[in-house]
Amino acid sequence: MNEKNPTIYKSKSRRAKAISATGDDQIILTTRARIARNIAGFRFGSINNETERKEILNLVKNTFFSSSRNKGYSFYTMNKLPKTQRKLLVERHLISYEMTLKLSGKGFILRGDSKEMGKAISIMINEEDHLRIQSIIPGLNIYRSFNEVIKVEKELEKKLNFSYDKNFGYLTACPTNLGTSLRISVIVHLPAIVVSSKVEDFIKKLSKINCTIRGYFGENSEVIGNLFQIANQVSLGKYEDQIMDEMNAICLNIIDEEKSAKEFLRKNKHENVEDSIFRSYGMLKYAKMLSFGESLELLSMLHLGLDINVIKNIKSFDFYNLIGILGDSNILASYGKNIKLKSEDIDKIRASLIRERILKGFDENV
Amino acid sequence: MICDFCKSNEASIHLIKVTKNNVEKIHLCMDCVKNYSFFSTEDFFNDLTKILSKFFEIDIKISSKDESDKIFESVSVNDNKKCSFCNIDLNTIKSIGRVGCANCYNEFREVLNPIVKTIHGNLEHKGKVPVKSSNDIKIEKEIRDLKYQLKEEVIVENFEVAAKLRDTIKKLQKKLYIGKNAN
Repeated sequence: MNEKNPTIYKSKSRRAKAISATGDDQIILTTRARIARNIAGFRFGSINNETERKEILNLVKNTFFSSSRNKGYSFYTMNKLPKTQRKLLVERHLISYEMTLKLSGKGFILRGDSKEMGKAISIMINEEDHLRIQSIIPGLNIYRSFNEVIKVEKELEKKLNFSYDKNFGYLTACPTNLGTSLRISVIVHLPAIVVSSKVEDFIKKLSKINCTIRGYFGENSEVIGNLFQIANQVSLGKYEDQIMDEMNAICLNIIDEEKSAKEFLRKNKHENVEDSIFRSYGMLKYAKMLSFGESLELLSMLHLGLDINVIKNIKSFDFYNLIGILGDSNILASYGKNIKLKSEDIDKIRASLIRERILKGFDENV
Repeated sequence: MICDFCKSNEASIHLIKVTKNNVEKIHLCMDCVKNYSFFSTEDFFNDLTKILSKFFEIDIKISSKDESDKIFESVSVNDNKKCSFCNIDLNTIKSIGRVGCANCYNEFREVLNPIVKTIHGNLEHKGKVPVKSSNDIKIEKEIRDLKYQLKEEVIVENFEVAAKLRDTIKKLQKKLYIGKNAN
């Protein structure tokens, strides 16, 4: 903008160096930015019918793929995808659980290999809002993921009219998403804060500054493996850059807190903590069947053990990557192509995967 | 996950009790929560966290899918008018926790304003506007942005810039006024 038109709120740290999940910490495992848009003239997904959904689906699909820039994306309709595939997409947060209910007229556009963990952009069509555009990037990457989302929105906006109100901003089916409709959510792994009994304080602090805290799988899910999902609650009345800066600052704080909790554990011997780390190790090593939840709990403790030098003889591992590999749907997709796997079979495969990937070559003389 | 109390229904509320050496998990279904004699249903929904915190002597994370469905609970439906575009009525909005279309925000503005204010703390959108918006909307956005900047400049006592901003705002307001009257 020029002088006559001075700039508004500008992010101070927009170019701040992104912290990678595979770097030295692995505290912020992944970042997701999403916006919601509704196309003017149509009823929202909360009450619309199949015919309306199909019309929107085609409209969005045709608009999006009319641009040559969008060649790298693929389009999927929900009712043509096999159940295992649908579950896998939900497990990877690429589509929401709601997308797997009432399938007809729903679809999504995706870029990035759904088999590969990490970076992905998805546009859900006919969720409760006509469009949910989201970008997921490993590590702390708030600004980058938002930019990806906006790029997609720009392409769609050339031909589509989005519902908007000067006071409420972008209009959404649920009033919690009004305004910018921007939701930044990060998945954080906080074993040190949890074992130091600081979770209570941590949750209180975050609730005070209007953040929602949930379990790994978002709505309706419990906390497993010391993994939390943290997101901004307010989307109306703040600039996009403001929301991002606030979330970024919160994340940097969380990283600091987890790091100092780890530092404390490293310097001071805690028999209780050491005991549960070694118990976790023992379970992972000898268990023949492991559920997904249990694996995450145990691996989280093992990861902590490595970080605070209680366990020294195995190599550090990428926790986030492992979560993707160990999920039920991923195991089904990789091993259940020709045979029908029962849930105990999945638990068996999971236990052996962990042994193979992490514990192989472990020095027996701890 | 099956409810720990009745052992039959699917649990939808998951509690975690963290003590020094132990993490204890409790899974409850809505029915058991409601029948649980320690607190009435109303209290439960009014201040779930507080009550349970007291009960378990710890701050607990509750994530219930119904969270966002409850936002309309305070709405009393005396006049059950329908949206002229999508035909949804307030009762339905209340029960599904969602509005039916963009026009609902217009027709039920009075009812929705306090709800939106509770959620977001204000009623004034800042940030992006659609590229295809009318000129008025674009000017209104510009005024809002400039007002925001004006406030910031006054805080840092940058009065020279602030004065310029004020002038620009005035000009834009005039432009908006003329434009609206012309229509």
